Amino acid sequence: MDLADVTSEIKRGDLLHMYYYLRLTRAVEDRITALYRQGRIVGGCYTSHGMEAIAVGYASALERDDVIAPFHRDMGAFLIRGITPGEVLAQYLGKRTGPTKGKDGNVHMGDLKRGIIGFVSHLADNLPVAAGAALAFKIRGESRIVFAGTGDGGTSRGDFHEAMNFAAVRKLPVVFFCNNNQYAYSTPIRYQMAISDVVERAKAYGMPGEIVDGNDVAAVYLAAKRGIKHARAGGGPTFLEFKTMRMHGHSEHDPAKYVPRELLEEWKKRDPILTAERLLMELGYGDETYFQEVGERAKKEVEAGLEFAEKSPLPEGPEALEGVFATEADVCHPTVQSRSAA
Amino acid sequence: MPQLGESIAEGTVVKWLIPLGGAIEKDQSLLEVETEKVDLEVPSPASGVLNQILVKEGETVAVGTLLARIDSAPPSEVVNRVGGVVVRQLEPATPGEEHHSPAVRQLAREHGVDLTQVRGTGAGGRVTKKDVLEFVARSADAGKAPVTGGEASMGEEIRPLTQMRKTIADRMLKSRQTSAHVSTFFEADFSGIAAYRAGRNLTYLPFVVRAVTRAMRDFPIVNSAWGDQGIVIKKDLHIGIATALEEGLLVPVVRHADRKGLAQLAKEIADLADRARSKKLSPDEVQGGTFTITNHGGFGSLFSTPIIHQPQIAILGVGAVQKRAVVINEAIAIRPMAYLSLSFDHRVIDGATADQFMAKVKHYLEQSHWEQIS
Amino acid sequence: MTTATSPATGEVTYLEAISQALDEEMTRDERVFLLGEDIGFYGGAFKITEGFLDKYGEWRILDTPLAESGFVGAAIGAAMMGLRPVVEMQFADFISCAFDQITEVAAKNYYRWGAAVPMVIRAPFGGGVHGGPFHSECPEGWFFHSPGLKLVAPSTPYDAKGLLKAAIRDPNPVIYFEHKFLYRRIKATLPKDDFIVPIGKADVKRPGNDISVITYGAMVHLALEAAQMLAKDGIDLEVVDLRTLAPLDKEAIYESVRKTSKAIVLHEDNKTGGVGAEVAALLAEECFDSLDGPIMRIAAPDTPVPFSTPLEEFFLPKTADVVAAARTLAAY
Repeated sequence: MDLADVTSEIKRGDLLHMYYYLRLTRAVEDRITALYRQGRIVGGCYTSHGMEAIAVGYASALERDDVIAPFHRDMGAFLIRGITPGEVLAQYLGKRTGPTKGKDGNVHMGDLKRGIIGFVSHLADNLPVAAGAALAFKIRGESRIVFAGTGDGGTSRGDFHEAMNFAAVRKLPVVFFCNNNQYAYSTPIRYQMAISDVVERAKAYGMPGEIVDGNDVAAVYLAAKRGIKHARAGGGPTFLEFKTMRMHGHSEHDPAKYVPRELLEEWKKRDPILTAERLLMELGYGDETYFQEVGERAKKEVEAGLEFAEKSPLPEGPEALEGVFATEADVCHPTVQSRSAA
Repeated sequence: MPQLGESIAEGTVVKWLIPLGGAIEKDQSLLEVETEKVDLEVPSPASGVLNQILVKEGETVAVGTLLARIDSAPPSEVVNRVGGVVVRQLEPATPGEEHHSPAVRQLAREHGVDLTQVRGTGAGGRVTKKDVLEFVARSADAGKAPVTGGEASMGEEIRPLTQMRKTIADRMLKSRQTSAHVSTFFEADFSGIAAYRAGRNLTYLPFVVRAVTRAMRDFPIVNSAWGDQGIVIKKDLHIGIATALEEGLLVPVVRHADRKGLAQLAKEIADLADRARSKKLSPDEVQGGTFTITNHGGFGSLFSTPIIHQPQIAILGVGAVQKRAVVINEAIAIRPMAYLSLSFDHRVIDGATADQFMAKVKHYLEQSHWEQIS
Repeated sequence: MTTATSPATGEVTYLEAISQALDEEMTRDERVFLLGEDIGFYGGAFKITEGFLDKYGEWRILDTPLAESGFVGAAIGAAMMGLRPVVEMQFADFISCAFDQITEVAAKNYYRWGAAVPMVIRAPFGGGVHGGPFHSECPEGWFFHSPGLKLVAPSTPYDAKGLLKAAIRDPNPVIYFEHKFLYRRIKATLPKDDFIVPIGKADVKRPGNDISVITYGAMVHLALEAAQMLAKDGIDLEVVDLRTLAPLDKEAIYESVRKTSKAIVLHEDNKTGGVGAEVAALLAEECFDSLDGPIMRIAAPDTPVPFSTPLEEFFLPKTADVVAAARTLAAY
């Protein structure tokens, strides 16, 4: 990362804002991991440890009215789009105050008002959906774009290819990304595809593609900005491959013994928070005291959120019967209100 | 649409001569067709069933258009595709083991209909919903004048009919209308029974049941029913015991009474009577009797002419057991005596048979070695 | 733009009724747009959207790549963003390619996180057209089991038009099963004014007292034919056209069977686990005391739809099946 690029392209405030969200993401997910180990969270528990820079970087690059279709390790994007740590923890605890009111769990958070398309476990399912959202923007002549992604494993699914193809054919305003963390659950990328860089797939659909250091929040931000600009200008979709490493198991129950320890040690040095701190120090934007202060602030926000989540009521059993069918009042009307970046 | 002339490109269906679903023979006229040049009847190209009419009357179509479909498959094959139930329900219902559909049972409950009185017109003689509704309509017509006498006048009170009252009324009338009732009376000496009973907790009834079932072995025809095909002689001896309740009468049944000892009979009769009074009998405990005994002597009655419990052919009444002076071996003795009254259906048996049967009952009551056969 | 009304009679076919509904809804509501294979230049495999491309342009009539999952997913996304997409499956059979998008995304989004998905998938279904195993299927059973979807299956031009308009205006994903066999075979004169047929309401197509035939789609016409034949023998069929399969109009089914006490459930889909199985089960649960005979089912056997004429004819339920079943049940 060229420092001159950073200083000319990213405002100081934006960089510090991203640093805060890296710390907040880590703090939220550390709390979630602890809750899981205490047996207080039921079900799956997927975190983005080691991958926080991707969601924080791209979500910071978006405008208020844009829409995301996140991957399940994009906690930072949820936080930046305005889902509070309290809501996140309420969701994990199955509380009525979570974004899905207990109907769905963990990272399956969606909220159209905040421009978030709810995650579907069937990886890549949301990519055609994202293309469709972009199609709506294009049909209406709006300048909004969609940012949508999956993992390396998800790019094996047909829906990935169908979405890429359709978006490219119709030059839809969407940026696709893949956070290539090298393992799909336990399956290494060499058993997933016969190419070493997922980005090669972009060529086949006639769209620009880029490999990006997914552990460098500034690099992610700048690449996202380029893709977004291209989409907004009517150039159609872009594909970004964020190279990274998943530092925890697939889910917290998974010790990930299939990942060589040396590889993890290597990637540990490139931890997104450490990487960001090095950059901030080089730019003279922050020092150890500042980093510690930000860490404390993030932790505080998480602890306040936990208190909210714990105090929140669980849903009543019969609420399971509610909300199978929508009413006219539930239909989205074109003006989307999402929270402006904090 | 057949080519009816070289230059003809289309034809109009004037009339189908066979209705949809109708059977047709090969070469039989199937439809009338009209073209620019000719009007004629088209003979069927095949035998079978006209299962589909593709061109309606009045429609004009091009030559070569498919007009209809004739299926040559026999109808039975078609039926088999429909579902397993078709095969099953064609089996006639076993007499006496009538199963009623939920709708029929519900209607019978609502209208207080005794389903044994309803003639079934369904498959295998099954009583259908329609049968019940018609029965109800008929009963309503028949019952209108006498039953609804209007408002109660001074000095009267109208007590609404209970379900049981209605059922009894209906059954009694039906029975009198159905069977040719004749009654015959015998007298039996209960000395032997009285001697055996001493010190034992037994009523007279089990002994009567015992005597009756033994007499039936000699005259199986008494244990029978009138049937359309003839007299149905029942192999099983299920004896109904008429039991008075506060508001009516029930006839619980002792099954296979001939296979049970006195103690067992006594126990069962007592149990059935108890449960009849506390309304705890299950429906199958008041069904399937083949002969009935009514112990009318409880309040001192001596004779009776009981009404036969349909579809049985006879009913035995037992009068009060009283000590009477009787002549035995030219001497007057005091003996516990009771009159036995048998009402029988003269359609099925004649007086001679009935009397011979009663003589046997009397014989077994008087001559049995109860110690040995109990 | 084709004129959907044939001038001679004023009658429209079932197919034209569908076309009219789409045209009128697109004119009425600019959020409505169509996407699918070959619907633009070609006007659709069955020519339902013939002329639409010229009238509405390529951003409201979208020819898509051959990728059902992709374009159904895209419709979901557009619907969530406030548009009203109507997807054309070229044949209902191909809907299996989009199964995941329909059942996992469209059907669950509102329940999971409150995002309404107001979209319609038109699925030309059914046999009798010599289409073979991949162009004749009745796939409604797959979706009947999936909460969050509405399923409709009209049998007449009136219902076809009214239900499609209602489906387009509904805030939920609706699969609209249009029967290919009926496209050009059924005609009717339709009201000039705008009308809808409400989703969730069955229709008694013929009142009768003896036996209820509960059915939908092309089978409605078989039932009506059978009713006509049986009337001569004094057997009076009531034909209940479900019209909407999900949510089922249970009260209409119960009302009919409580009156007649006998029921035949008829559909063209395979017998096992079909809509008919559910109707039969509901009748056993809710109308037991009214039944005066076994519930009978007439359906296609549990095989794929065969191609060759005698095989397909054997496979499809026929008027004679209804007649035979009704006779048996009447005599029961």
